[in-house]
Amino acid sequence: MRDEPYRWIEAIQDRRDYIEDQLRPGSPVVGITYNEGMLLLTIGKGQRKIFEVHDRIALSAIGHPADIERLRMLVTDTASVQGFQNATEDVNLHRLTNYVLAHTFKQAFESIVGEAYIIKMLLAELGSTPEKNLFTAINFDGIVRTDTKFAVIGGTEVIETGMQNYLANAPADADTDLTAAIRLSLETWAVGKGLSTREPEETDLEETQMDTTQMYEVVDAAREDGEIQAGVLKITQQGTSKFRLLNSQEVEAALK
Amino acid sequence: MRLKGHFLNPNDAVYEDIALQTVVNHKGDFLNLLKQANYPLKTALPSETAQHATDIEIAHSTTVVAVLYRDGVMVAGDRRATAGTSIIYDRAEKVLQIDRHSVLAISGSPAIAYEIARVLEHSFQYFRRSQLQELSLEGKLRMLSRLIRDNLSMALQGIGGVIPIFALYDLNADEDDNGGKIFFYDGLGAHFENVDFATTGSGSVWIRGVLRYLSRFGDTPLSEMDQQQAAITILRLLDIASEYDAATSGYNAKVNIFPNVKVVTRSGVDTISDDDLAIWYAEAQPEQT
Repeated sequence: MRDEPYRWIEAIQDRRDYIEDQLRPGSPVVGITYNEGMLLLTIGKGQRKIFEVHDRIALSAIGHPADIERLRMLVTDTASVQGFQNATEDVNLHRLTNYVLAHTFKQAFESIVGEAYIIKMLLAELGSTPEKNLFTAINFDGIVRTDTKFAVIGGTEVIETGMQNYLANAPADADTDLTAAIRLSLETWAVGKGLSTREPEETDLEETQMDTTQMYEVVDAAREDGEIQAGVLKITQQGTSKFRLLNSQEVEAALK
Repeated sequence: MRLKGHFLNPNDAVYEDIALQTVVNHKGDFLNLLKQANYPLKTALPSETAQHATDIEIAHSTTVVAVLYRDGVMVAGDRRATAGTSIIYDRAEKVLQIDRHSVLAISGSPAIAYEIARVLEHSFQYFRRSQLQELSLEGKLRMLSRLIRDNLSMALQGIGGVIPIFALYDLNADEDDNGGKIFFYDGLGAHFENVDFATTGSGSVWIRGVLRYLSRFGDTPLSEMDQQQAAITILRLLDIASEYDAATSGYNAKVNIFPNVKVVTRSGVDTISDDDLAIWYAEAQPEQT
């Protein structure tokens, strides 16, 4: 098939369409910085979606659970071995993203006779100072986006753009406390979830703007058969490992 | 399939195979992961080295002690590292935090002891990160047993023996109960739970009887002491050990070096600050008349 460029490009496009269809209903993930570190938040149905990778690195993803698990283990194993063989400070998100994950994503996506990963991944790395915090979002085709303040993943580009626009207009910064960060993340999640219910050809973001009440209605509806999952990389966390999953009481407290 | 030497090269074609195999066979075993990455876990010595092992001066000897007190376990260790009759270091850390609720107090060969502590720390973390739950108390004990047993050849050659104390807090204990636990290991890796206290190292022989006396006949039994009482008791014990054992240091007044003292409670591991130790150390001394 590689001898016939048109067929190869067509196959890639079909594969892209198929994966995007699979990802569209996925529950978006929001990552933002706050005054004590970084927060990852989503609403999930049963399966855990926010994970600790290494001392200062956390991960979340949307997609097929088997693919998420496989790639989560790949990055966790690699980080663990590197951290042991050298030092934990030598494990960094830049290397894990560019030399391990992006390469694996791209190879699977373009090997059209093999299985592709149905996945989008969001990773966060807590820096020694807030300016050194880093988010990376990896698309199923291996394309990487990085940001220091916030990042999102959603089923489609339109969903992600809508969420990014919302965050850009109300950016979290170093003064935002955890309660405010959870609320902002939930509102952003609701924007993404609202966009995911639209038809794929509807790309006009102006038509779907929600007020805060509507956002929390979307959140409440999702919580009827799901639960808010949130994890933080907290600079003041005791010990070397800075990751902690928030418990339901902490999340509920932010919603009051 | 035996995978050799490719694990950290993401450009290699077998990289994905490793990931697949890792997921399929995954048990959260960090030692197995290190073997896949060809990390040398055992040190094989040439036979001529073993024959002359007694000629080699290896830093060892110490006093570490753990007591069950009211809120959990307090673990302390002196700071001296020796080689033969020489003091080679007076700021050694012998009480090492392994995870949020466990501490390893080491005695024996520092090189092996620190490596065991490092493997242990990474193993617990790896289990938690890969299996999405904390390794059980029994699992932690067996992991340390395995590491000590794997080191048997070094111990038998007289140059790499490690006898640690492992102290942790059992979060499954009832809220009203003291979940602090102290485990003592032998050179083959067998572990035994000590109810009230444990001490090891060359200076331990001088204080074991005192600990037993305090535990059984003291005005305040060890297990009922508060943090300050327990700390003062431990500082006094290390001072006694340092008076009889040349390989144990007490408080070094010239440069303000205190023993390492950590507590393991339901809220986690905490290090007693030198400022607190200075105040308590002053209280630990008898009044001059």
